[in-house]
Amino acid sequence: MKKVAVFALPLGVFLLAAVFLWRGLYSNPAERRSSLIDKPLPNFNLVDVMNESIRYTPESLLGDVNLINVWGTWCQTCAVELPFLTKLKEQGVGVVGLYHELDDDPSFGIKPITNIREEVAVMLNNLGNPYKFNMLDVNRAYSFDLGVTGAPETFLIDKKGYVRLHHIGDLNQRVWQSKFARLYNELEAE
Amino acid sequence: MIVELGHFSLLLALLLSMLLAVYSIWGAQTGNITLMETAKPLAFGVFLFTAVSYGCLTYAFVTNDFSLIYVASNSNSQLPIHYRVTAVWGGHEGSFLLWLLMSSVWTTAVAVFSRGIPLPMVSRVLSVLGMIAIGFYLYVLIASNPFERLLPFYPVDGRDLNPLLQDFGMIIHPPLLYMGYVGFSVAFAFAVAALISGQLDSTWARWSRPWTIAAWSFLTVGIALGSWWAYNELGWGGWWFWDPVENASFMPWLAGTALMHSLAVTEKRKLFKAWTVLLAITAFSLSLLGTFLVRSGVIVSVHSFASDPQRGLFILGLLVLVVGASLLLFALRAPELRSSGRYQLMSREVMLVGNNILLSAATLVVLLGTLLPLIHKELGLGSISVGQPFFNQMFTYLIIPFVFLMGVGPLSRWKKQSPATLKNQLLAAFFVAISCALLISFSFDQIAYIAVLGATLSIWILVSTIQEIKQRLGNNISVVKLADLTRSHWGMVLGHVGFAIALMGIALTSNYSEQKDVRMAPNEKVELAGYEFEFLGVTSANGPNYSASLGRLNVYKQGELQVNLTAEKRFYPVQRTVMTEAGIDAGITRDLYVAIGEQFSNGDWALRLYVKPFVRWIWAGAFLMAFGGILSIADKRYRIAKHSSTAVRQKEAQAVGVTQ
Repeated sequence: MKKVAVFALPLGVFLLAAVFLWRGLYSNPAERRSSLIDKPLPNFNLVDVMNESIRYTPESLLGDVNLINVWGTWCQTCAVELPFLTKLKEQGVGVVGLYHELDDDPSFGIKPITNIREEVAVMLNNLGNPYKFNMLDVNRAYSFDLGVTGAPETFLIDKKGYVRLHHIGDLNQRVWQSKFARLYNELEAE
Repeated sequence: MIVELGHFSLLLALLLSMLLAVYSIWGAQTGNITLMETAKPLAFGVFLFTAVSYGCLTYAFVTNDFSLIYVASNSNSQLPIHYRVTAVWGGHEGSFLLWLLMSSVWTTAVAVFSRGIPLPMVSRVLSVLGMIAIGFYLYVLIASNPFERLLPFYPVDGRDLNPLLQDFGMIIHPPLLYMGYVGFSVAFAFAVAALISGQLDSTWARWSRPWTIAAWSFLTVGIALGSWWAYNELGWGGWWFWDPVENASFMPWLAGTALMHSLAVTEKRKLFKAWTVLLAITAFSLSLLGTFLVRSGVIVSVHSFASDPQRGLFILGLLVLVVGASLLLFALRAPELRSSGRYQLMSREVMLVGNNILLSAATLVVLLGTLLPLIHKELGLGSISVGQPFFNQMFTYLIIPFVFLMGVGPLSRWKKQSPATLKNQLLAAFFVAISCALLISFSFDQIAYIAVLGATLSIWILVSTIQEIKQRLGNNISVVKLADLTRSHWGMVLGHVGFAIALMGIALTSNYSEQKDVRMAPNEKVELAGYEFEFLGVTSANGPNYSASLGRLNVYKQGELQVNLTAEKRFYPVQRTVMTEAGIDAGITRDLYVAIGEQFSNGDWALRLYVKPFVRWIWAGAFLMAFGGILSIADKRYRIAKHSSTAVRQKEAQAVGVTQ
């Protein structure tokens, strides 16, 4: 009997693996749960994209429910997303931009800040400006702390400065309704 | 019309494989010779109709029949004709048809080359192959049919073959890989047939050995070509990425390598019978698992085909049926097995056990590393990714004892080996290895310990392999005597030497490669690892279905012109994709490798330059291993087996067991 159990072991292991594979079929492998959920925002001290004398820290966000939106002028999907974010802003949702500069690559020289400002101004002027303010992520260091994998990505931050949601990809009506709206209203009511 | 013919042939092939699966095993179980004798003609029929079907799809591609959804999404009227022929396996549906073709080729090959094997056994094996085939034919016909029409409104032109696949390496890589994957189904079928019949003596190991080695050789070449293709085509000088899909092909290879060695023990010494059967099941199961992982989209990979849960579910169903049933059979039958031989702690048997344990551990490492992100997430523990550092570290640990045994194993005797007689040989091998490795490392500017380790291991294998040949031949070696060694012995020698060469390549290229990302204006020079790269500028050119930017460079060493390199960046307008074709100067001791990137606004170009020492050795080693495999199959004893009667062969098998 004991011997049968030994020889049945491969079958058991395989069936267990098959269960996981079956469940894996119905979940999206690219989706990741951020490790920051329900934790305070990592500390930061970033300058405004438009004006380097203005600095922001986590305290700048306290007291309101905010969205932190990671974006860049080089990013096509961000351009698609901007009008919807602007609509959210008109409904009273606070949106803070974290500017993710792609060309800022030490190997190939740094894009002058004046160029960046120009491009940002043109893009926001054309597509709508949802942002309370935009923080410049120098060397993309803060994006790294947040676990950003690309742009656009959006974080929902509660009034105490805790991360509550992390969304990879563009924010649109469908995503907002299914993922953000309820939690946002709850947090707003707190 | 021709397309419908292809569709219909496929249906006929399915029906024939159903008959093959049922009739031949029924005949074998009831002892009905007439039924058993239907197995071979049915196998030929399956092959014939599958080949017709495959030919029809190829015809649709060649004649640009865009009324077929599959042709429309994977070809284009501008595509050169040789790529139209290979585009047949460029997408999901067609690559499964290729799979079916390969599987029918193997089945037919078993039918043809099995004259020495008793009829009931052949019937059972062919029946098992037929059962597996039923599942795949159903899958192709129901869930992924390449013959579906797009009528009445079909596109004027197709969406083109993925430009990544428009490369010579890609033409031959998938068929060879599939030959390997599907080839393990033969070893699997032999094992399952032996389990069904209950005759698990060492004869089944003897029969399935050449098939296993053949499949393994195909897989080896397939994997090597995939690696070579990635190196040429992806533009960042890498040759192995531990991508889940690469792992999916690597796992059956590891299990197959273990199986080859374990079969040798089972055949010659009648030992480890249950373990060998389990390995045969495992190797094919891992091939199926690999297919599932690639096709279902359960893991993130650069290779993934468009994922479709329905298809994934179908393949998973197949996987559970095939693997589950065979493992159940194993659980029921294996406890009856008894190994008869005796051996001591220091013996070739134990060395081969070590080989098997280490290879199994390596398979497990790859399996865990590939599936862990999925399991972790499904258990609700959050997302993790397992990458290169994990695999590299694990394989560094595993390779040391593995290579040690690879040197000692062939030198040892079966049953009992006294350690004292080996001591001098091993010490000599060790000192030669470490001093050569240090010399090699000194020729590079810096010393990386891992590279020294890798080189030592590689030379250790080479030296001990030479010692083994010497030991076989006695003291006075002559060419005549070398020819006396059997082909399967030379197969082993080449297999091991090939491994050593690949290992040397891996160790040196991983540690001594140099790389630079630069921004260059025309006529600018950059120095890297003693070579001076002069950028001559970029010109445009047009291919049949793409436009290209050609970056030209001159490479100098100590002021002398070495080579003129052309790195391409191609733009394929139909799919709107950009592809890099690296400019490579291949050499025995080093590759010079250049890829061009984007152009900057002021006219400069981004370039990536690499000097990669000994990178060719990796593929050369792999090809040598596969060649060793082919030599083994060509051994006389398998040919004798084919022509002689069963009784003679069984006697011979016993004789081999006694003498060796």
